[in-house]
Amino acid sequence: MSYPAKLEAIISLFEELPDAEKRETLIAYADQAKAQEPGEGESFDLEDVRKDEECTDTVAVFLRVDPAGGAHFRITLGRQVQTLTKAMSSILCKGLDGITPEQILAIPADFVPKIVGAELVRLRSQTVYYLLTRMKGIVKVWLRRKQAGES
Amino acid sequence: MSIDSNYAHPEVLVTTAWVADHLKDDGIRIIESNEDVLLYDVGHIPGAVHIDWQRDLQDHTVRDYIQPEAFASLCRRNGITPETTCIFYGDKSNWWSCYALWVFRLFGHSNVKIMDGGRDKWIAEGRPLTREVPSFPAAEYPVPSARLDCEIRAFYDEALAQSKASRPLIDVRSPGEFKGLVTHMPEYPQEGVLRGGHIPGAQSVPWKEAVNPDATFKNAAELKKIYEENLGLKPDDDVIVYCRIGERSSHTWFVLNYLLGFTKVRNYDGSWTEWGNRVGAPIEKSA
Repeated sequence: MSYPAKLEAIISLFEELPDAEKRETLIAYADQAKAQEPGEGESFDLEDVRKDEECTDTVAVFLRVDPAGGAHFRITLGRQVQTLTKAMSSILCKGLDGITPEQILAIPADFVPKIVGAELVRLRSQTVYYLLTRMKGIVKVWLRRKQAGES
Repeated sequence: MSIDSNYAHPEVLVTTAWVADHLKDDGIRIIESNEDVLLYDVGHIPGAVHIDWQRDLQDHTVRDYIQPEAFASLCRRNGITPETTCIFYGDKSNWWSCYALWVFRLFGHSNVKIMDGGRDKWIAEGRPLTREVPSFPAAEYPVPSARLDCEIRAFYDEALAQSKASRPLIDVRSPGEFKGLVTHMPEYPQEGVLRGGHIPGAQSVPWKEAVNPDATFKNAAELKKIYEENLGLKPDDDVIVYCRIGERSSHTWFVLNYLLGFTKVRNYDGSWTEWGNRVGAPIEKSA
């Protein structure tokens, strides 16, 4: 299946990078994780703030769906969250920006190793998958509420 | 804060302040080892090299550590000679730095120290980090004649014999893992274990009991109370420690071996991911 255009562009970039540059680029995305946090005065349709078993610290996911149906995410990460997870928060906030909730639910997680690379995909770094699960989770709730409102 | 002189071997710990004052000393190598695979790249102590527990210390086809040739090669490319004092530090209260130190000891490298409090304490004190990766001239490191598995490492059969003989076995995992309620520690993925519980006869002393909130080791009196008074261990006891893959137990091995001066402590690195999956291995569950 094809990925949303913005995510596809990020995946293509990573696939072309040698390992050393891949690491540098992941760190650059991780450095941008703070910029994905909610801004002053921003409002959202849904907020999901949780500390789950699967992740080392609290992860807060904020969702706004614009009138045209495009989803926009903000994510706040606790201090103990691993660097790869920080990078993935920036990648997903940018890569999924503006697509519909239905499109988000259809995205497979198989792009993660394409971005992270074989050397860094480890059992103890599986939380890189966790963020997509959380984003899909909040989108599902939004869709259920929308459907309930329409019925 | 200074290092407690009542430890059996206080010389194996250095403070963050000491490291800050000795960054450019000849004869030392500062080594960062983490669980977070990108943390070193994000920023590290100036002059520190990176040793990755999985990439650098483990054999990639056999579940085992690297062989002596690979260890010598690792040391040479990091500018480490047999005389170099290796000072380890890292994330997770120094789990992985203790693990790396233990592997260095497997190859007979005994000039080793831990920076008390690890990476978190260094950062909490506002000390500098850099992204500059240092480069050192290749050093001479002869290939060690053997890996000293029989001295500080235990295998399944030895852990089983320990259990059957009712000799001390310390399970350093979280209480839920020990009781068999969960097969992984909180906040971590399942690392492929079929059964929960512990080795029959093992006593539960989570690794975390040995550290303060700032990731430094508790003082000698506090450690003695935990392991000697409460658990009844004696420094000449033959002790085996284990966890799930051997990193948390490396931390406890360090405490018993260096801080309390126990003379016969072995780390069963196969740990629960071997024992919990092994056909025929007896397990015990407790409330």
